Formats: sequence, structure tokens, C-alpha cells
Amino acid sequence: MAKAKVKKDEPTAAEPASDVVMDEAPTSHQPEAADDGMSVDANENEDDIEEEEDEEEEEEEVQRVRLLPGSTPTAASFEFLNEGHTLGNALRYIIMKNPEVEFCAYAIPHPSENKMNVRIQTFEGTTAIEALQKGLRDLQELCDVVTDKFIDARERFVAASSS
Amino acid sequence: MDYDPMIMDDAEALGPVVKISQADSVRVKWELSNTDMSFANSLRRVMLAEIPTIAIDLVEIEENSTVLADEFIAHRLGLLPLNAEGVESLLYSRDCDCDGCCEHCSVRLTLHAKCTGDENMHVFARDLVPTGDRINQVLGTPVITDSEGLGPLILKLRPGQEIKLECIAKKGIAKEHAKWAPSAAIGFEYDPHNKLHHLDLWYESDPKAEWPPSEYAAWEEPPQEGEPFDYDAVPNRFYFNVETAGPLPPDVIISEGIKVLQQKLAGLIHELADEGGDGGVNGGGYNGGGPRSPEYGAGAGVDGFNGGGVHNTLWRRRRRESERVGWRRGGDGIWDDAVRGGEQLVVRGTLARRGGGLLTT
Repeated sequence: MAKAKVKKDEPTAAEPASDVVMDEAPTSHQPEAADDGMSVDANENEDDIEEEEDEEEEEEEVQRVRLLPGSTPTAASFEFLNEGHTLGNALRYIIMKNPEVEFCAYAIPHPSENKMNVRIQTFEGTTAIEALQKGLRDLQELCDVVTDKFIDARERFVAASSS
Repeated sequence: MDYDPMIMDDAEALGPVVKISQADSVRVKWELSNTDMSFANSLRRVMLAEIPTIAIDLVEIEENSTVLADEFIAHRLGLLPLNAEGVESLLYSRDCDCDGCCEHCSVRLTLHAKCTGDENMHVFARDLVPTGDRINQVLGTPVITDSEGLGPLILKLRPGQEIKLECIAKKGIAKEHAKWAPSAAIGFEYDPHNKLHHLDLWYESDPKAEWPPSEYAAWEEPPQEGEPFDYDAVPNRFYFNVETAGPLPPDVIISEGIKVLQQKLAGLIHELADEGGDGGVNGGGYNGGGPRSPEYGAGAGVDGFNGGGVHNTLWRRRRRESERVGWRRGGDGIWDDAVRGGEQLVVRGTLARRGGGLLTT
């Protein structure tokens, strides 16, 4: 959607031109931020020290979800690090259950990269991010239900076999 | 879930159902129904590969005059099932503040055996004794289930031979190395009559005669003669057979599996909430704030985050992280396993003296 319009919007950006081109390239071929000094520093300078402290903490916790370039509010691709089919397929299923979601799919672009991509396209009523968050929460609820059902079944089984 | 039940299959609207058909101390056979295969498979995968347990990871060999090579013995020790009760309060040694390993992130076991008689001597897992402080009195003890109370055979000694070593057992998951797998195997089956034609059964003359029916075949309606193929049918009943290798009781494997899945989800929900909650996390590049995720920065238009600093900062940060851990932890397995051939071996003494050994110190 309207990708072409915004190409040169940010002259301060590190590599606006290459980003435009890279929109179309597979993620594995996109540069890992060659030198991002300019734009980042401009934003970070004021609280440089604080930021450094923050960063040290953040080293412990890598950001594992990323929005891929070319996404719009209602149609977005997410990249998950260190996730695979275990989460991908179940998440895809549960997100597809959401009536607000038009399309959802997942892929593991390359087996030796620990990355999993999820594509979500929604109808106008919601955004892809909200659909993703709802999907995660719904899957958690499903897990809760299965846990409860399993505990019940276990108790019933123990009761039945002891009597 | 607050979805309109109309859009769901009738059965699915009722929610998942769990039935246990058989259970003892080694296995649970159970059925999960009214859910999708993707969820059932997630559960299977998570029980198989992502439940934390404890296994021997480092072996320090002090004396080995047996016929077996040090690394051979170290590998055998790594595969011994150890009791994982209470492993949740053990830290991963990579997360521990200690230098190397301590009682918060590891369990030490020692083995010392010398054959002094005329007969060959058998060394069993029961001869491996935990030493030092432990979180509880069972964590890290070798699992012994045989009636004589011996446990698995580790090695045999000829008269005069001796083995003396110390092991460090650490917490881990089977995705990193199969020795951390809590289960021996997880049976997973659906559609015993192959009504969905997911299987293409090989046969000489008649598949019905040549393929014995599954034990679950009696649980489901057999296909009627001349029944048309149902193109809309999806698998709905999944039969699990969770068999433990000893570290955890089988029912605990199931509940731990769901727990691990929950933790995975909770971590992601937390992260997404963080990302939306304060723009600071992302270096200020997002025009964010508020619960709505700030990626769609108003200033830069649809692709604003793309050219801006955020994207780059994230990448830089991630690259730094990847250099640090080398992507080894929590990988999906293939490469990690190949690179990391299992136990590390610390050799002190013997090999240096022996000279002809495979390893040099």
C-alpha cells in the first residue's frame, strides 16, 4: 500500500535509498544496519548515559519480535527470533480464528536461521499488531483450558482407578 | 475466547476435551479432541524438546584405566537420566552469576570404582553419587527403576582397572541436546482409519489385510462401504502416548509442556506490550507511546520506521547480541547439535601421562 510515496520522506535516515530497494529483498539479504550512527544518535544524544545503562540491561533481553519493512497497519509481517513451527503453526491457527483477520500465515524462511515470519492481514476494524496480541492471548487461554481439562481428567482417572 | 461460535465447527465450539485412557508411572495414554492439529502438534513438540531437565554436561576424568576412551564414557554419562524433580528452581548455568558452576546452577556427581577382585566388575548408575549442596535431595540423582536397584550399566572393569571421575550436571532442554529430553518417546496419532488419506499405505495386494489396525481404531467409526471422501474433514482427535525416560513423571511432562508453551507466549506478550508501552525501548525512533504499537510513526508515513533509526538500532543491538551468544542457545537444533558434539571433556592427569591418548591437555 502506498509504498512509493514515502520513499524519500526522511533525508536524515542512514540509507533511505537502499531501504527502498531492500523492501523487496528477502529479509536475509537486507543489511544489518551498515552504520546507523546518524539517525540514532540524533535521537539518543540527550539521554546518552541513561541510554547506555539501558542498553546494558537490554543485552540480557534481545528483542525477539520485529516488524518487517513494507508493513501497514492492517497488513504486517512479523519476524520472530528463536521461534519455530511449535509456536508458528499454533499461532497461525488461532489468529485465523479471529473473524477480524483476513489472512494469516507463517513461514520459516530458512531452516538454519532461527527465524519465523508471520504475516497478518486484517479487515479495517483492527490492526495486525492487535490481531497478533489477541492471538497470543487466545493461545494462552487455550493452554489454560487444556491444562484445566487435563487436571480434571487426571483426577477423574485417579478416582476411577482407585475405587 | 469470545469468538462467535457460528464460525467454528460445531464440535470445536465446545472447546478442547481431554481423556486419559491409561496411566501408570512410566506412561500416560490420552486423547486430546476438539482442537486443531496445529495446537496438538505444538504440544507434542514442546513436550519432546523444550521441557527443562538436568543432565551431565561436564565430566572431569581423574583416572581411567578402562578399555573405554574418556570421551566415550563422558558421552554415556551424559545420556544417563537424572531425576529432574525441582529443576525449575535450578538456574541455567548461563544465567547464573557464578564463575563456571555452583550449587544454584549445577549438581556434582562423583564416580570412583576399582576392580580389586578376580571377576570383571560392572559399574552402574547407582555408583554415581551426588556430592555437595543441592536444591533438594533428589535433584540430579540417577534414575533407577530396575528391581535390583542398579540403574543403567555405565561400563565394565577388568581386574586392576580403575575409573575415577567427577561430573557436573546442568539444566538444559532437549532442543540443545537430546540428553535433556524428559520423555523416551511421545506417540502421536490421529485418524486411525486413514479416512483423511493423510497416509498413503504401501501394500502388496490388500492394505486392509496387511496393515494391522491401530489400537485406537476401535474408538472411531470405521469408514462405511462406498462412503464418499469428505473433502472438508479435518483431524479432530489426537492420541498421545507420553512415555517418560525417568526424569519426570509422565503426567508432569504433559503439564510442564503446556507450561513451557505458556511461558513462550507470556514472553512474547510481555515483549509486545513493552514495545508498545514505552517508545524508549526502541531508541526513540518510534513516535510511540500508548498501548498501540508505535511502528506506524505518523511523521514518516507508512514506511516511517523503515528508514528511521529504530530499525537500525534494533539491528545493531541484535547483531551485538548474536556475536555474544553466537546463536548457540535455544537454537532449533540442527546446526547446534552438529557443532556442539555433546559433553565437554576436561581431562586432567591420565591422558597427559598416557601420551598416546586422543586428547591432549
